[in-house]
Amino acid sequence: MRLIDRRDFMKAAGLAFAASLSPRRLHAMQQADAVFATAYQIKDGPCGVAVLSEDRKVLFTSPLPDRGHDVTYDPLTKCSVIFARRPGTFAIVFDHTGAVAPTTITSPTGRHFFGHGVFSPDGKLLYATENDYENAAGTIGIYDATNGFARIGEFPTHGMDPHEMLLLGDGRTLAIANGGIETHPDFGRAKLNLSTMKPSLVFVDRITGDLIERHEQPPELHQLSIRHMAVDHTGAVWFGCQHEGPSTERPALVGRARAGESFGLIEMPQDVLAGLRNYVGSIAANAEAGTIAVSSPQGNALVIIEAAGGRIVSTSRLAEVCGIAPDRSGFLATTGAGEIVDPDGGAKSAEQYAWDNHLSRIG
Amino acid sequence: MRKLIFALVAAVAAFAGPAKAENAVVKGVIEGFVKPVYSQFRSVAAQLSDDMETLCADQSPDKLAAVQSKFLTLVNAWSEAEIIRFGPVAEENRLERILFWPDRKSTGLKQVQAALADKDATATDPVTLKDKSVAMQGLGALEFVLFGTGSEALNEPGDPYRCAYGRAIAHNLADMATAIDEDWQDPAGIAQKWASFGAENPLYRTDQEAMTELFNVFVHGLEMVRDVRLNGFLGDRADDDKPKQAIYWRSGSTVISIKANLNGMRTLFDVSGLVGLLPAESQWISQSIGFEFDAGEVMLDRAAGPILEVLEDQDKRQALAVTRLITSHLSELFGVTLAGKLGLSAGFSSLDGD
Repeated sequence: MRLIDRRDFMKAAGLAFAASLSPRRLHAMQQADAVFATAYQIKDGPCGVAVLSEDRKVLFTSPLPDRGHDVTYDPLTKCSVIFARRPGTFAIVFDHTGAVAPTTITSPTGRHFFGHGVFSPDGKLLYATENDYENAAGTIGIYDATNGFARIGEFPTHGMDPHEMLLLGDGRTLAIANGGIETHPDFGRAKLNLSTMKPSLVFVDRITGDLIERHEQPPELHQLSIRHMAVDHTGAVWFGCQHEGPSTERPALVGRARAGESFGLIEMPQDVLAGLRNYVGSIAANAEAGTIAVSSPQGNALVIIEAAGGRIVSTSRLAEVCGIAPDRSGFLATTGAGEIVDPDGGAKSAEQYAWDNHLSRIG
Repeated sequence: MRKLIFALVAAVAAFAGPAKAENAVVKGVIEGFVKPVYSQFRSVAAQLSDDMETLCADQSPDKLAAVQSKFLTLVNAWSEAEIIRFGPVAEENRLERILFWPDRKSTGLKQVQAALADKDATATDPVTLKDKSVAMQGLGALEFVLFGTGSEALNEPGDPYRCAYGRAIAHNLADMATAIDEDWQDPAGIAQKWASFGAENPLYRTDQEAMTELFNVFVHGLEMVRDVRLNGFLGDRADDDKPKQAIYWRSGSTVISIKANLNGMRTLFDVSGLVGLLPAESQWISQSIGFEFDAGEVMLDRAAGPILEVLEDQDKRQALAVTRLITSHLSELFGVTLAGKLGLSAGFSSLDGD
């Protein structure tokens, strides 16, 4: 019942978004070189989605009925979608240039969103990671962007708890991180299968829904949940993990996979790894610089890695850092404490905001 | 306020050397709460194991009643202790092996029923039981043995299998409780690490990491009580209730368990001395927390009884709904208000798995 009640509450959300785009804000947005989007929560208060400039200004904000998670963007139509944080059931499509009115998507009965998704290269289809919770099975929901984002189908992810999903450079292969953790909305965010969980990274053909290949962690690391990914300039998929086993274990948390070729975790110096405290919250790639950024809000750490050799370029202490997105030769970062930090380390504090886990470039 | 914590720590650090320092709040919590509750769990688990031996030697209604009563005492002891979900209890899947719940698809129940039907000999030996499915070796399995369909067979001699399986579960629980208690008592173990942060400490490098671990006990504990334990069976309306999805419904100890969870958090807060870190103008926070815990206790006393009956009684059901609201108030008071005053964040973006 709770899911359905929340849907009713949702109906008004799209309207609020349109009203918040004043002409002055629109102008500011069109002037900005690069813009980024992220979910937030006002400290002690309501949730929303914000658009930020690369010079760390909050260009505009719009309320959401509950916490959002990631934003995915289609450069052709300039549409962005903010997904609800799991186990939420809403996603809002918005156009930060103000050309198109927002649309609210609700997940169908028996499914909730996991917070991530991608567009097809032509912008006509939206794919979302979803939970078929009665069957404890991961699914990808397919939504038709040319027809009001109607749900037109789904296919399985061949694992539980699909979290982040990326589209590879061929425009056809989806990389999906199956976190492996069973949850059910009857029990909030409780993890129901920690002793038997089996995370995996799968490659799936988005046209046919066929499984191309599936990689599992070795048995002794079956509690190492694969959750976030980024594609580097060579097409390799980097993934970040969260360890659900005891904190006395400190397994490697970052890995690299290449469809048809390889899958494995990479070694890191012990002090860098310890600084991540068994938790990678977000991972991003800067294609031009050939670097990967990994953030840990639990370890208050931001680590930059050279994609080619795996060398650690830098490690920064940044309280509650999680959101990261490529910007110029480095990364823009946001924190739960309200900081927006640019690649040069310049920081601006927007104290009333707690920035949520992910930051996405949207133009 | 953060400055005050650092000042307290610095005072101790002057004696301990610069590389590590003792956190007085954490030290107080370990000595005044964590060790006592896990020792109590160990002691009750050992008693239950003995009581099972007695029952299996001579199955009778009196002896079964004694074991059933001790089971409720064990649920109470575990529910106070389980809010501490890190450290030794997180090793070797002990959390799941002590309590596999919720068993949403009845996987565990089916395994327990199959063992009883097939008289699986590997389930009656604690050595082989501990390597079987986590769902077959903890409180949920023992509850079915003692209170579930067919448990009346324990009233009289005749079929020893059910009792032998229950005895192995109780023995296994007592072994785990002993291991957890010993680990907390180890002077060079987790207790020392949590209380003495430092650059060389692999688990707690800073004072803030140690304090955040403490705060997360309240934040996660309250979320567990509300989202998992209460919302798991208590609908928005009575029509939506799912009584058989309630934890410990067979033994009638659902409310006992929830009350012990909250009581554990209250005791933890009281012994932590966090109140002493608040300036006079913020003392209202601690008073509000006390007020909410009081109200929760009154509501849960009003809702006492087996959950199937509680949900049929409008006043009792209402008391549970109010308890749910109280847990939300407490989450706000701990996770936002108190954490804010002490300069700690409740880990907004890192609570779990996103």
